[in-house]
Amino acid sequence: MSLIGLVFLVFAGISFYKIRHLKEPVVLGPGVTQVKKLSTYFPKIKGSINDANIYFLEGSEPGGTILILGGSHPEEPAGRLLGWIFAENAIVEKGTVIVILSANRSGTTVTRLGGAYPPDYSIPTEWGEQTFRMGDRWSNPLDQWPDPEVYIHYPSGQELAYVDIRNLNRTWPGRANGTLTEKTCFALTQLIKDEGVDIVFDLHEAELQYPVISTIVAHEKGQDLAAMASMMISGTEDFSMGVENSPEALRGLSHREIGDHTDAISLLLEAPEPFLDATRGRTNRALLLEGKDEFVVKAGKHGLLFERIDENGWHIDVRVGRHCSTILQILELWSEDQPERGIRMTHVPRYAEVIANGTGHYLRDPSTASPGKLTFE
Amino acid sequence: MSMFTSTQIILAIMVVVYIVAKALKLSTELSMLLAAVAGALAGGAGIPARHIAEGAFTYFDIILIFITATLFMNLLKESGGVAFVIRGILKKFHRRRSILFILITILLLIPGALTGAGSVTVLITGGMISVVLSYMGLSKPKIAAIIFLIAGLSAAAPPVSLWAMLTAAGVNMPYVGFFLPLLIPCVVLALLTIFILGWKGQSVDLEKALKELPEAPKGMNWTRVLLPFLFFLALVILGRVLPHSFPILGLPLIFVFSAFVTVLISPVELQILKISRDTVKQLLPLIGTLTCVGILVQIMTLTGVRGLIAISIVTLPIVAVFASLFFVLPVSEAVLMWGAAPVLGVPLVLLFNTIGLNPIIALAGMSIIWPLGDALPPTAIIGRLTKDTVGMEEPYTQMLKHCIVPALIIMAVGTLMVIFSKSLSFLTLL
Repeated sequence: MSLIGLVFLVFAGISFYKIRHLKEPVVLGPGVTQVKKLSTYFPKIKGSINDANIYFLEGSEPGGTILILGGSHPEEPAGRLLGWIFAENAIVEKGTVIVILSANRSGTTVTRLGGAYPPDYSIPTEWGEQTFRMGDRWSNPLDQWPDPEVYIHYPSGQELAYVDIRNLNRTWPGRANGTLTEKTCFALTQLIKDEGVDIVFDLHEAELQYPVISTIVAHEKGQDLAAMASMMISGTEDFSMGVENSPEALRGLSHREIGDHTDAISLLLEAPEPFLDATRGRTNRALLLEGKDEFVVKAGKHGLLFERIDENGWHIDVRVGRHCSTILQILELWSEDQPERGIRMTHVPRYAEVIANGTGHYLRDPSTASPGKLTFE
Repeated sequence: MSMFTSTQIILAIMVVVYIVAKALKLSTELSMLLAAVAGALAGGAGIPARHIAEGAFTYFDIILIFITATLFMNLLKESGGVAFVIRGILKKFHRRRSILFILITILLLIPGALTGAGSVTVLITGGMISVVLSYMGLSKPKIAAIIFLIAGLSAAAPPVSLWAMLTAAGVNMPYVGFFLPLLIPCVVLALLTIFILGWKGQSVDLEKALKELPEAPKGMNWTRVLLPFLFFLALVILGRVLPHSFPILGLPLIFVFSAFVTVLISPVELQILKISRDTVKQLLPLIGTLTCVGILVQIMTLTGVRGLIAISIVTLPIVAVFASLFFVLPVSEAVLMWGAAPVLGVPLVLLFNTIGLNPIIALAGMSIIWPLGDALPPTAIIGRLTKDTVGMEEPYTQMLKHCIVPALIIMAVGTLMVIFSKSLSFLTLL
């Protein structure tokens, strides 16, 4: 029996080790002008697993600054994949676009206990396929442990579930002397302040049984912008986006705390991800990427969902494409309203293009990249 | 083949393998492990080492709490502190049964309410209380029933109710407004439980009881007994009052520190290594169960069986959902333990929210029913822990028999809280 246990230990250990150390290549696109580390803004995070790469895409013309956060919840892959598309393709003509692909890198190195997540997933491209770490909602306990009996949010003092002390979207605005996750949020808040960020986009996905879905959750500073974008998207794109106001009673979330503690407008985008539904069937890579599930469809037929679903599911290209178009639409409106703080960029696909070409079309082949143009997440 | 059919087949295979394994006299733990492996094979996942290892760690934190809390209590027992407390309580209150019951209820509610774990109540105060109750003329099964039921209510009681917190987190609902909806039913039902089950006992024959009880060692006093508890409480409270300047210790380390204090001030020399070894030996069956439940849940999720169970329940007609809560919640707890909150709690709360019920009150109602499942197989973790702690030698079913009446009341109150949650909304505002 001990021998069987040992064999399991070795095979499982190899799998865990490989995923924790899997390198995800990023081919720096022509628009990337510099890559900084998060510790530039808060040295205490230097050397930690959450000392994220920060990709700067600066235009020749002065303008505003936006920050795109991918990987706040790594188990929601559309946000991270959008980050790759921007970092490897976008060319900014006016203003500055800052992109983070792994806001909580620690959370990308672990999968949920009891959740049966696949360790990784691969996106097909024209040159082969690129593999990404699956990740979890929370930071890896190997990096932050133990949890308290109850998590008391700083600075509000609101009591939250103990495990959420490792949730990057419950620890805003962060704490300089806090846990790894709190320090990460603190560093990100410093970045927003130091770079004079105008708009923060925090990219998420949600289960279809969750009422806040297919929507922009907006801090009151960004409600008009979000409402206008929602109308424009519904009129011009092949999908619709709702708008939700950021509730004041719900603390620690980016859409609330960034808006409250910095000058930036904070917007959180949600796309549908059936993989996260509690009623989901088989938990595997196909469900993650194709979003097809008979059980979730049945839940929809019983009126238990807040987003429609049919046999076509919610493919990853659809989810990534929605995020792309929503960001581009908001930036167009923002630039019209605030010309001196405007953003203008090219080579970022819209919804229809991502669906037509696939997300993999926008991923660059790392084997052909020159060494200076390659980083790893 | 549709996903429904294939998943039903996998579920059937898992059930059959479990039943066959049990029929072959294999332990519950090994039977669950075999059912999980059979499910993985039937689901086409082979023997997934990664998922088995990952699932085995699902309840790692709870296992650490079990070990360290039991070590703390065993050290206190060996130091003579337990005997000292029992003798003291009996001498002071042996003529006042009602006051004794109220004091006992409070002592049982506090540890679980603070930590969210009924096991902590059983381990910290359950042992001592069981001796006091036995000298009040109550049988061991009846005592075990009282301690088990109140331990469950203590786990559901505020400030820390893990079922409510995990479900709230799953639907992005802040854990606020739960204090009174959880506190009132938990306190009332705990008092009802002890008075219903304990009232018919006999008056204490003090002289006989004191003669039979072990003498406390020379030098033992209230300071030596209370100091480790006060130290434990101080560390928990400091974490609450100064959450952003006091380091996060976690319950296992807090128990280890309290155990260390017990050793330091014990009037007799304690054999730490021997007591530690005995503690782990004592808990090994429970650790095995938790480990195998974690593996089972992981494989059920991998193969879609978990989803099949969840979708089958939440798509029942709403009247059937209400009518089956008393059964479904304890059974889900018995199989998944706290995992029942994200698996069933989340879809149920979203369902209740969709039909206009108050999700906070409804979740509070569900939270008081869930712990009843901790007495049911296949896990029966807290039930078995209580049986061991009380030292009950009668069959386990004897304890369950005494649980029936209070459990029915708890189920009724919890279900009514769900149905009338809208009318009880005012409790969330107080």
